Amino acid sequence: MKTLRVLLSIAIAIAIASETSAGFAEALARYQATPASKVTVNGTSTIHDWKMEGKIIGGHFDIDSNFPLDTSAGKLPDLKVNSTAEVSIPVQSIKSGTKRMDEVMLEAMKQPEFPKITYKLTELSPRTGQHKPGDPLEFVSKGELTIAGVTKPVEMSVTMEKFEGNKLKIIGSTPIKMTHHGIKPPAPNIALGLIKVGDEVKVSFEWITAQKNEAAK
Amino acid sequence: MKTPLEPFDFNRREFLRGGSVASLAALFGMVQTGAQDAKPAEAEKAVTATNTGVIGLGTRGREAVAVLGSLSNAQVTALCDHYPSALKRAGNTAPKAKQYADYRQLLGDAEVAAVVITTPPHQHREIAEAALAAGKHVYLEVPMAGTVEDARAIAQAARIAGKVVFQPGLQERSHPQSHFLLPFVRSGGAGRTIKARTQWHRKTSWRSNSPNPEREKELNWKLYRETSQGLVGEIGIHQMDILTWFFGQRPKSVMGFGTIQQWKDDRQTADTVQCIYEYPNDVHVSQELTLTNSFDSEYSMIYGTDAAVMMRENKAWMFKESDSPLLGWEVYARKDSFYKDLGIALVANATKIVAQGKNPAEEAPYPNPPLFYALESFLFNAHELTTATKDFIENFGGDDPKALADHLATLKLLPAPKWREGFEATVVALKANEAIESGEKITFRDEWFVV
Repeated sequence: MKTLRVLLSIAIAIAIASETSAGFAEALARYQATPASKVTVNGTSTIHDWKMEGKIIGGHFDIDSNFPLDTSAGKLPDLKVNSTAEVSIPVQSIKSGTKRMDEVMLEAMKQPEFPKITYKLTELSPRTGQHKPGDPLEFVSKGELTIAGVTKPVEMSVTMEKFEGNKLKIIGSTPIKMTHHGIKPPAPNIALGLIKVGDEVKVSFEWITAQKNEAAK
Repeated sequence: MKTPLEPFDFNRREFLRGGSVASLAALFGMVQTGAQDAKPAEAEKAVTATNTGVIGLGTRGREAVAVLGSLSNAQVTALCDHYPSALKRAGNTAPKAKQYADYRQLLGDAEVAAVVITTPPHQHREIAEAALAAGKHVYLEVPMAGTVEDARAIAQAARIAGKVVFQPGLQERSHPQSHFLLPFVRSGGAGRTIKARTQWHRKTSWRSNSPNPEREKELNWKLYRETSQGLVGEIGIHQMDILTWFFGQRPKSVMGFGTIQQWKDDRQTADTVQCIYEYPNDVHVSQELTLTNSFDSEYSMIYGTDAAVMMRENKAWMFKESDSPLLGWEVYARKDSFYKDLGIALVANATKIVAQGKNPAEEAPYPNPPLFYALESFLFNAHELTTATKDFIENFGGDDPKALADHLATLKLLPAPKWREGFEATVVALKANEAIESGEKITFRDEWFVV
């Protein structure tokens, strides 16, 4: 009897949840991740600076369908925008170009346990003030970044620009401290001696999304 | 160009290098512990390690198991041989691997992502086709098969198997030293190429003993025409492939001679072979292989108008003519004397080695056997292809094959030969063996190389 009640309440909860998201879907335009994105991690070490690159950023970005994603505007609305985003990057898709360093990185990021870096957008506001027509639109974003299973809030500037009709390019970057996410900066012993990797890295991304016809309905 | 040492392999160079117990044992007519029993250090496994099965656990198969053990990106999870004691022996090197008597069982093991096929060549086709059909990455020893027809069938299967890596065992093509020498030779570092020469000299019977006569016949497949492509197929294929690759051209014809000089048992394959290959631009390559004398071991020479280049193990030297132009860097390079000649060391990674305060020619920059680099490339590429495909489909779906192909084209893979190189090298070797057997000059026809 009790089980039935629990099941019933879960069913109701799901029904409400789907109702709610269906309600949002009318107001939000969905931009789905497409190939050709780029994520870059720039870091330092005791020997030289290093760089890793990935080409896969998955997920979707939903934004109020009435919001003018139009670079010709002289000024952006001075309001928080109704929007969500779920972003996911496979850790193993980020490459250094050398086998050994990739192995060290996957180990440090506990990849088998946490194969994805995820990000959830919680707040998006247009940057106030004048906007130069033609320039990408500027926003301040707040969200939660999960790396190696540890979630931290992150605030960063992002720009958005529509192109080729239905596509949207979202660009941003943020510094990240490995230790904040419980990652010990690697100190691999290689032929040239012991290398110590700097704690702070800069993560930059260029996320290409597209509004699909089905999703837009 | 190191190939596994055989039982009774008395190698003068190995002996001279330094009175090891093994060399002394060989001198006194004892069985030398060859590469098959030397275990490279076990490597710590990376999270990228690919589960690998080895099919065919003879000398070469056991060497593969040991090399895989020393690779951080390989995990031997399955072994296969129909002969129980071969399986057991390899199992000592990879104790955690599952053991299968039938290769079909191994191919049915879902945990196995990649297979290394080290059976005799006449068994390759059936196993390689089944492995590709089972969706496994395939490393296939060369020659790819015992007949051109079988090799072509394998190449065709590999060509259409899009989601897996097929790598023929032309191991030198993955060796960093080859990739250092290739541009040097191609850019005319030694002048215009006049001719080349390769040799592989050993004193070894090529025969293995077994108390079981049936097993003995099986073990000694290399000695009989039905199952063997002789010295040119088993050994010469590697050196000839390197020259074909460096020249960027296939040979036009081949003629050869083979005789049984010393090992007059019931064998059918020659213990001493000489071939002449004709390449475009009137360049001829002579190839000498013998199981009767170990003098000067194995190496290849390319003779140019300005210099001769000697490729030996993982090293190379240049011998300049007195009238050749000064290149500059050779003034500072290390020199080694070879009787009355002075060899200028051509060392890959020389600057890195110098930076470490080491001497380029003494310090071999690539200490591992060629099979190490070949299998490292194979499993790295297999892992990259598999994970990149999976990540792409998970994030963008699988309904756009062109976008996926574009994405896969951006992968930075390690150098490795593909089915075409494997097939072409196999055709050249099989035809050379045919030329030896028939005593006729064979002119290569373009259609033989069509897959």
